[in-house]
Amino acid sequence: MSNPWIAIGALAVVALAIPITMMFVSSLLRPSVPEQGKTATYESGEVPTGSSQKIKFNIQYYMVALLFVVFDIETVLIFPWTVIYRDAVGAVGMTRALLPMVAFIGILAVGLGWAWRNGAVRWVRSSRATKGADTYE
Amino acid sequence: MAPESAPLPETLAELAGMDPNSVPVMILMSLIGAALIGTLMMTNTALAGPWAKRKITAAFTDRIAVDRIGPFGLLIIVADSVRLLSKELIVPEGVDRPAWDLAPLLIASSALLGFAVIPMGNGLHLADPEVGLAYVFATASMASVGLVMAGYASNNKYSFLGGLRAVAQNLAYEIPLILTGASVVIFAGSLQMSEIVAAQSQTLIGPLPSWYAFVNPFAFALFMIANLAEVGRNPFDIPEAPTEIVAGYQTEYSSVYFVLIYLGEFIHIFLGGAIIATIFLGGPAGPVLPGIVWFLIKIWGVFLFTQWARSAVPRVRIDQLIEIGWKGMLVLSLANLLLTAVIVGVIA
Repeated sequence: MSNPWIAIGALAVVALAIPITMMFVSSLLRPSVPEQGKTATYESGEVPTGSSQKIKFNIQYYMVALLFVVFDIETVLIFPWTVIYRDAVGAVGMTRALLPMVAFIGILAVGLGWAWRNGAVRWVRSSRATKGADTYE
Repeated sequence: MAPESAPLPETLAELAGMDPNSVPVMILMSLIGAALIGTLMMTNTALAGPWAKRKITAAFTDRIAVDRIGPFGLLIIVADSVRLLSKELIVPEGVDRPAWDLAPLLIASSALLGFAVIPMGNGLHLADPEVGLAYVFATASMASVGLVMAGYASNNKYSFLGGLRAVAQNLAYEIPLILTGASVVIFAGSLQMSEIVAAQSQTLIGPLPSWYAFVNPFAFALFMIANLAEVGRNPFDIPEAPTEIVAGYQTEYSSVYFVLIYLGEFIHIFLGGAIIATIFLGGPAGPVLPGIVWFLIKIWGVFLFTQWARSAVPRVRIDQLIEIGWKGMLVLSLANLLLTAVIVGVIA
């Protein structure tokens, strides 16, 4: 049995080579006719109103992003458990194999419920859209 | 079913009569095998993108679509690739240059990378690491980094909104997707793709094979829905939402960069199909026909499903998407995981 990561590395090389070849072929084929106005940012035909990197708005989901980190780490911890679960049931019985994970997921579920009640997973409307309905902190 | 044969590079080495234990031979054979897999997937994508997608959408909306060049309009694939590659590349003002160039590359190549561990039948299985399923989920979610890069670097407000929507969507659906995948691992007891496929080779009731789609249809439905969001198709295509934000993160891309993003999306759909085929539909298993044909039928079936959803299901709003993801899918996938564990525990 050879190391499978050699083959995965080889596919990485191929997966990069295909797009790069396409870019190269395209650079041979395509014309270059620089003209004023072609390079303007597309804003549905209007004169562009400035950079998108300088505007400020509520991206809404930083709390969701924090929750994601919590649950993502949770899945990392669940995966090894799923792999050995079947053998563990045979070895130590179902209660000892399952209950710790039930407690673990239970704590997370309580956390999700708390975030839910606090409106972390709700899309926030601007205060102009709904006056005074904003419980977001 | 016979147990999975050796990985593709070893088979190739034996065919060429070379020693499969020497590293240089394996590197060479791996490259050949990878080129084979890459070509296969690029062929699928070439068929799907310019031709099948149009034909399917046309059939849903009672039109004819491409039929002028070649039989059934098939040569449109050649015409379209020449047309798109020979377009002028317009670099808009103020783009963040390295990121703007790297994003299409990342989107196109990350999805292709996932096929390394997918068993396609007839020995077409490039690598079989023990962490197969975790690896394939990791490569599938790498594309969202590319989407954010494209959205932010384009210096366009539509692109920026599209990129941010892509993050919101992936955050909301990644966890249900992976947790539902984990419920399959409870049955199979392994992350290795060949083991997961082998575990589905018994029969369930009568002629019905014990594919996990039949063993746990609830998980299958959850996974299909989460997968639609993962690949960004209707009803979860809000990162692109043509009627709202033009084309989202790909608004400012033209020429070969547009091709690469478009290509990446289709490879991603097929990768989603390949994951579903492997962990829920028995991989390449099936009667009469050879494995690779069954595998292709299954991934094209998933592709057809995404195109059907695209034609038939209206798009959800972003706030609805967050609610469906965090309040619906996540709770359901946790319930599915625990229920599966209890059932497996009682049976085992």
